Amino acid sequence: MSVDFLHPGEGAAIDTNVPALELRGIGKRFPGVVALDNVDFTLEPGKVHALMGENGAGKSTLIKIMAGVYGKDAGTIRMRGREVDIKSPRDSLKEGIKVVFQEIALISEFTVAENIFLEGYPTGKAGSIDWKKIRADSAALFNRIGFNVDPAARTGSLPVSQQQMVEIARALAHEARVVVMDEPTSSLTPNEVSLLFTVIRRLAALGIAVVYVSHKLDEVFEIADTVTVLRDGRHISTKPIGEHSNDTLIQDMIGRRIDNLFPRKRGAPGSKIALSVESLSTAKKLSDVSFEAHAGEVLGFFGLMGAGRTELAKAIVGYDPITSGTITVDGHRLAPHDTRTGVKLGIGLLTEDRKSEGLMGELPVYQNASLASLGAFARLGFVDKAKEHKAVQDYVDRFRIKTPSLFQQVKNLSGGNQQKVLISRWLMRGLKVIVVDEPTRGIDVGAKSEIFALIDRLAGEGLAVVMMTSEMPELLGLADRVAVMCEGRLTAIMSREEATQEKILNAAIG
Amino acid sequence: MSELTHAPAQKRFIGGQLLGSSQLVLGAILAVLCIAISIAAPQFYSEANIVAILRQCALVLIVASGMTMLIITAEVDLSVGASLAFVGCIGMAVLNSTHSLTLGMLAALAFAGGVGLFNGLVVTRLRVNSLIATIGTMMMLQGGVYLFTREAVQNHNRLASFTDLGAGYVGAVPVPVILAALIFVVAYVTLRFTTLGRYLYAVGANEKAVRLSGLRSERLKLFAFVVTGLCVGVAGMILSSLMNAGQPTAGRGFELTVIAAVILGGTSLLGGRGSLFGTLLGVLVLKVIDNGIIILGWNQDLQMVVPGIVIILATYLDIIRNKANVR
Repeated sequence: MSVDFLHPGEGAAIDTNVPALELRGIGKRFPGVVALDNVDFTLEPGKVHALMGENGAGKSTLIKIMAGVYGKDAGTIRMRGREVDIKSPRDSLKEGIKVVFQEIALISEFTVAENIFLEGYPTGKAGSIDWKKIRADSAALFNRIGFNVDPAARTGSLPVSQQQMVEIARALAHEARVVVMDEPTSSLTPNEVSLLFTVIRRLAALGIAVVYVSHKLDEVFEIADTVTVLRDGRHISTKPIGEHSNDTLIQDMIGRRIDNLFPRKRGAPGSKIALSVESLSTAKKLSDVSFEAHAGEVLGFFGLMGAGRTELAKAIVGYDPITSGTITVDGHRLAPHDTRTGVKLGIGLLTEDRKSEGLMGELPVYQNASLASLGAFARLGFVDKAKEHKAVQDYVDRFRIKTPSLFQQVKNLSGGNQQKVLISRWLMRGLKVIVVDEPTRGIDVGAKSEIFALIDRLAGEGLAVVMMTSEMPELLGLADRVAVMCEGRLTAIMSREEATQEKILNAAIG
Repeated sequence: MSELTHAPAQKRFIGGQLLGSSQLVLGAILAVLCIAISIAAPQFYSEANIVAILRQCALVLIVASGMTMLIITAEVDLSVGASLAFVGCIGMAVLNSTHSLTLGMLAALAFAGGVGLFNGLVVTRLRVNSLIATIGTMMMLQGGVYLFTREAVQNHNRLASFTDLGAGYVGAVPVPVILAALIFVVAYVTLRFTTLGRYLYAVGANEKAVRLSGLRSERLKLFAFVVTGLCVGVAGMILSSLMNAGQPTAGRGFELTVIAAVILGGTSLLGGRGSLFGTLLGVLVLKVIDNGIIILGWNQDLQMVVPGIVIILATYLDIIRNKANVR
């Protein structure tokens, strides 16, 4: 490995007129699906280019072709004007393309420095690895991106945000001309996001073309110079960000207009207290949390990462143990403190982590939907399948769950439809209080509005909805009252009318 | 339930429901084996030989019925072989001192059920991985049986009913085969038609989701461990009846045969996926191979080698089939 990276801009002078990477007429089909159809994608050096689209639009296929994970079926790829043939991830890296995937591909047992130089350790005399140089070079790389990570740290011990920096340093070590960031902020705190953006701007200043894959509109407006939108495997638009508004971007992404992301059809909340939590504390996070939620109300909980929203959600449904405090659901105390009692009293959690806590991916849709209410379809312990299927079908129709059949494995459904299946699970059981934790995480813009409408409808049907969210628009668009948490404490509760972004953020900082 | 949870559902819509079943592969393997062996050795199809194969299958199938439930919940029990030997010794000792088959049987069930309960508690309460926990139990039982008896516990009671347990017939059908069939049917109906069965699949597919739904996931797993133990109790008594003694050395490697049959039948070690019908086919395949090797006069050491090859091959075929489904 050469040491050119320590001296940016030397040697190959960056010609801003020649695209860093030019994809022309890219086509890719999988059996039964056209994943990409004649897609053009051109990257200018020194610019941040956002790649947007809903799940299944072809974003990941496109970046996987750039990364050499998939081969293309049609089209050409040019690096700085020269046609290249990318057949493997190795080729891609050699040509100067570095993709930082959402699931970071570092060896967690290795040190940061070892990971950076994984593809070729600098060697000293007698072919032994020159550790001193590796460490020094790593430090120099971090210096260039303006972010310091200890080169000797074990990679697995670092937070995701720093692992991303290691990946970026790797990109520089390979003299990458193109750096692709795939949904980089999905598990970052707001603070980490702004640090990442600083680093991305640095990369651009070094003349690197950055591809920013995301479906978060606000981030794209903040960081991108240009936006390309894909839909159903086709190129829809490429425009400077200045020519876009929220509405036009959404329209390009979903192919239709959404007039109102937060339709409100329900009436005013009732006065009946459905859930009452008094001085709740847990061993790790929560201290002295008290609040009430009314029937027919959406009570939104906001907080920054680590504020304790998920902990609160899991504690009040009886999933996680508590050290003190009482929880009362519809007049009955939640004791013993377990989910069995919780569900009996009518409180349930729609988890933020669908895959590991909600879905039974291998099992069919109908079994996922009926899990909490199976007893109602049984006689003497035997399941009346006809009755069960009919009930599930009813929900599939009502919520317009898109599935080829009740027997489809639920893992094959889209995020939005999976979420609807999980909501059905609770509605079939019949709840008084539903706690929804980040209800639209990993869900497309188009499906989001449907989930919002569903939540509105739940409250309209008299449920108390306790909603944990880190998305400000979601909070302000849906909640009747806003509760704010900071470091395990409840710092404010305000009505929808009082709530402003500023007030909420102030309370969230503590 | 089995075919629903099994077949990736796309298959249903491209009309490949038959191909979607891993049991088909196994059924084909079984058919090929039977045909090949009977061509080479026509006595394979004699009534005596078929009865012998079924009797061989009975012991494995009894324990494999419980084990299928357990593996569907994403746990496993490696102590069943060691427990089998211990149970036989205890059952025989109780039988000798009480001269009552009922008491002997109860003692065997209590012991084996107790072992299952112990395994289940260690796994669900202490949260020790079941692979490790039951290796521990296996070692305790293997050593423990010698603390109980240094040599085989001989049959001193000459109870006809006890002898019948292993060697008797009802009509032309051996008693162990009838017992195995009964246990198989009960387990099959439970897994396929009852809420309990559905919960067992659910807990294997996603334990956290089950707990969030207000169900007691630990109890479900505990249940599967105890059922597996009770099956070992029945099998242990049959084995000691067949050998007319409680043998502390019996059952070595038995756990591997049982688990192999379950896995061969398409039940996933990751839980949430599997069927008893597949297990039945798995047991038949393994035992037909055993039998074929004997009938053909091959080296008996191949009785371990060939099933090993078959397991790898069958699992590989299953992977290929799944890949084909995904595309």
